[in-house]
Amino acid sequence: MSTISLGKIIKSNSHTDYVCQVYGPGEVETPPAREDYAFGTFARIGLGDDRWLIGIVYDTMLFNPDFGRLGPRLSLEPELAVFSPDYLNEKATLVGIAAVGMMDATSNVVQGVPSLAASTDALVERMSDAQVRAFHQGNPTPQLAYAPLLLTQGSALALPLLRTVIARLMALFPDQTDLLAVLQDDLTWKAQVGPLGGAR
Amino acid sequence: MNEQHPIGLTKGPGETPHEFTFVSPDRGQVLKVSEFVAYRAEVDGQERAILARVTNRCPLRLYPDTFLADPNINPDDVAALVGYHQRGHELFELTATVIGYYDETLGDFVNPRLPPRTGRPIYLAADEELARMLTKKRPGEVGTAHIGSLLSRDKDRVPITLDLRPITSTHLAIIASTGAGKSYLAAVLIEEMMKPNNRAAILIVDPHGEYDTLAEMMNHEVFFEQPPDDTLQPVYRPEVKIFKPGDVKVRASALSIGDLYYLLPNLSERMEYLLRRAYHDVREQSRKDKGDAERWTPAELQIRLRQLGEGGDEEDEGDDRYAGTADALIWRLESVLDQSVIFDDFQHLNLAELFRPGRCSVLQLNEVDEREQRVMVATLLRRLFRARTQTAKGQVDEGDELYLPYPAFVLIEEAHRFAPASGDVVSTGILKQVLAEGRKFGVAVGLISQRPGKLDGDVLSQCNTQFILRIVNPVDQARVAESVETVGRDLLRELPALTKGQVIVAGEAVNTPLLCRVRTRHTRHGAETRDAPADWMRYFEPEEQSRRERETALPVQPRRQGKSKMFK
Repeated sequence: MSTISLGKIIKSNSHTDYVCQVYGPGEVETPPAREDYAFGTFARIGLGDDRWLIGIVYDTMLFNPDFGRLGPRLSLEPELAVFSPDYLNEKATLVGIAAVGMMDATSNVVQGVPSLAASTDALVERMSDAQVRAFHQGNPTPQLAYAPLLLTQGSALALPLLRTVIARLMALFPDQTDLLAVLQDDLTWKAQVGPLGGAR
Repeated sequence: MNEQHPIGLTKGPGETPHEFTFVSPDRGQVLKVSEFVAYRAEVDGQERAILARVTNRCPLRLYPDTFLADPNINPDDVAALVGYHQRGHELFELTATVIGYYDETLGDFVNPRLPPRTGRPIYLAADEELARMLTKKRPGEVGTAHIGSLLSRDKDRVPITLDLRPITSTHLAIIASTGAGKSYLAAVLIEEMMKPNNRAAILIVDPHGEYDTLAEMMNHEVFFEQPPDDTLQPVYRPEVKIFKPGDVKVRASALSIGDLYYLLPNLSERMEYLLRRAYHDVREQSRKDKGDAERWTPAELQIRLRQLGEGGDEEDEGDDRYAGTADALIWRLESVLDQSVIFDDFQHLNLAELFRPGRCSVLQLNEVDEREQRVMVATLLRRLFRARTQTAKGQVDEGDELYLPYPAFVLIEEAHRFAPASGDVVSTGILKQVLAEGRKFGVAVGLISQRPGKLDGDVLSQCNTQFILRIVNPVDQARVAESVETVGRDLLRELPALTKGQVIVAGEAVNTPLLCRVRTRHTRHGAETRDAPADWMRYFEPEEQSRRERETALPVQPRRQGKSKMFK
């Protein structure tokens, strides 16, 4: 799995919560497929000087300016490409990215709230397996120090997101599955049994 | 105090005015419950080190239960996974009770009524300072007993040296469940009391015959005072005299009328009346004839009873109403006094033989009936107390039977037999009298019991130094709690958890209650439990089987010609 450009940062909701507009048809040579920006995908946001914010896709929003317009259109959709191409470009897929750390080209890693912020139009790329492994590599155990950060943000999607991340890490660190399973089991209990009244 | 290394910081006040809490990472795992800590505070313009005892320990940081889900995964690794890499993460809140600062002139603790301010450092009390503050005496001084070391510190780091003076004046009690080591502790105490720096006069009432190994003291160098010139005999070596059942006699005439009633239970009112009259008469006669009311003999008592039964008295002449009663009494008296190994017509326990400085007398009563044991102890204590009282008041002189010019200490095993809570037995009264008044005349007792719940509450509460070992029974724990006021609740909570040889020492012999690890005995321990399974196995050993065959075999018959006559 190689690095693929996903889109650009168009805005942020907070220091760790960014919105990326996914490249649509015509914007890049090979627009990303749906799987490339799936829930739980690791993405890196360029900061320049070979430094990146590391984030996780945690949300997807579809942007459609035509939604809610009650009046009829004079042109058919195939004709719009000729007469009003801008309009088609206004439809977009947006993904929310939670920043969970920073990394540079020499694999210096900081997990947790990053000190730097990305700028608008910063390039967002899907990370390769090697990059994800490098971001989580610890000695001797893998590192998941941003887990409390995700869990304390109060999002309903935090638990499923972390479970997806751990599932990915279990595939990337096969010799650490027992350790990761302890955390995974706890989260699965909280996600699946806790809402039905299971203690803790 | 160990100024360089505070072990924690004060958090705030505790539940009571004398408690405070402090927080410590306690990486060395030294802050055990009952450990002594100190803080500095200004009292009356002078900075003092104030001692406190840890009474509770509560962890402040615990891993989530789910971190402990897989026994093969170290929860530290799970914590590291989520970004917590500190290995020494533990933090404790400790509750401590203020004891006070040690006032050298008073020789005791003074409570400053001033808990430490929040954020003030707490130190672990230094070993030497603790040894100096916990007890009044230093090892080796006259009147000291080194019974072991402080339990919360490593072995022998803080020696516990008791002050023997209060023990030998205001009595002691050793209380523990079976097998907790009370006889062992008692023997350690006796060993200390017999060392050259004490040379006590001790009598041990030993109903189980388990103190005979103390005789090894006579040949153990640790008990000797060596002369300056090594070629000479020791200046002092303790004597241990074992009195087997029958060696010590109680002269029948020393029995009180109460003793006689106790030895002859269920007497009818008529019998009691007759016995009282006869007893009174023979004492009067003895006083007139021999100058001492206690010189009558059982035969004289029986003769007098017969006379009274036949109406031999002047006022009852010709009245033989009491003939049957007198016969019955005489028969019962004979059966008790004649069959007993402890009563004698003329011989009497010689106090000077039993009590002598530097001598430990062990009175073994393991084959003596329990009622007779009580009468014997009662008689002995009564005579001892009378001897000390009369000697102290100058009423007897050297050579008199009751002349005893030095204090004596009596250690009574199975004390609940001699002063039970369930009712008065013949020894309870004199025991209470000795406990109440003995200190004035130098008679002290040490009571050992495995059932404090069965021991008379007044008796237990009058022992001013207490040694409490493991007690599991709730009734016994409650009795200890109500009778032993000096021991705090925090220490009493330790009772079921104490292991063999761990003892709570409280009362006058120490400056504050403490937990002590009893030292190893110099002599062998005699109260070993019988190993029944080993004995059963031995029965089947070839040597044992052949020995039995040899002993039970029929004698070889000479071979006869012809038909055997054995099976006709």
